Amino acid sequence: MRPDDRKYTTTHEWVKIDGDTALLGITDFAVQELSNGNTSDLVYCDLPEVGREVKAGQTFGEIESVKAVSDLNSPVSGQVVEINHTIEEHLEVLAKDPWTTGWMVKLKLSSKSVDGLMDAAAYEKFVADSKH
Amino acid sequence: MGTWRLITTWGAAPEFNMGLDEALLVTPGLPPTLRFYSWKPDTLSLGYFQKLSEVPGAERAGALVRRITGGGAIHHVRELTFSISADMSIDLYAGGLATSYGRVHAAIARALANFGVDAKLRGEASLASDRANTGMCFHHSTALDLTWDGRKGVGSAQRRKGGRVLHHGSIKLGTSPLEGDIASLESRRKSVAPSDLAPFLREALAAEIGAEFEASVPERDERELARELGQRYTAREFVNLR
Repeated sequence: MRPDDRKYTTTHEWVKIDGDTALLGITDFAVQELSNGNTSDLVYCDLPEVGREVKAGQTFGEIESVKAVSDLNSPVSGQVVEINHTIEEHLEVLAKDPWTTGWMVKLKLSSKSVDGLMDAAAYEKFVADSKH
Repeated sequence: MGTWRLITTWGAAPEFNMGLDEALLVTPGLPPTLRFYSWKPDTLSLGYFQKLSEVPGAERAGALVRRITGGGAIHHVRELTFSISADMSIDLYAGGLATSYGRVHAAIARALANFGVDAKLRGEASLASDRANTGMCFHHSTALDLTWDGRKGVGSAQRRKGGRVLHHGSIKLGTSPLEGDIASLESRRKSVAPSDLAPFLREALAAEIGAEFEASVPERDERELARELGQRYTAREFVNLR
């Protein structure tokens, strides 16, 4: 079971809200999809500048594996207050621990709306259904 | 059985080629579209995250662009270039990245077999075309790549955005000084044109996806969006983005 202290998107990002801030990251399923099980297949990650406003559903960054570039979509709206620079240099962190040390961006929330996002149980089902 | 669009544009400008692919990627709700195209002038495309300085000799190409798909640089000359733009939910893309590559490459292998080339996945083999520090797509291989004559002959990359996927593919008909000793159809047949191979790939993809292709041209709004989006691809600030 994936962590139930956060919400999930259909494009495999997670958001963990704590007061008026939130951490964003991508799920183990996203990492597996991109890397096909080979950590070294993750090659680049572009994260936003601190201060940038992002809106729910919009792109906040991009990640490249050996075979694809994928957008990173924000589950919530807010202003970027911190980014995890470790990710940009050490993408293997995402494979080891996408839930804690693998966070990507910290936002100061402009809205706490999580409409349309899934809880852990719904995300489990979504992932199971997409493995066809 | 569904119907896909097929758009064929031989000898098009690099800005148009990249702009139309992006337009077909970012416009929600468009039907799945297969494009066959070639380039005029010959064009070197950088992978989305590549630095121009990582590709020695890039300026020798007739034009330079940065793709929005990943991977290494490709010199688009003497090749059949294709793209597939569709929702991520279509069967071709189901089951993840590696699976979708497997399906597209299975179709390409079938097309090449019908053309007289026995292409195989690289697997764990080492390739004579692998070379360090050139930044070129055809000099770097993975287990999923299609090969013949012990060399890489098909380049592939995807962009995943907003629930849609753009798959870029290049099948080498011949080589160029920038790409050197790689696999190409020239080893089997002299003077192959992109339009010679395209019907074979069309037929193999139709069998793979269980759909028919309907020849089409871009609608006016698609052409306008392609023109607008295409301008940045050769712009110095985009080529030098990294």
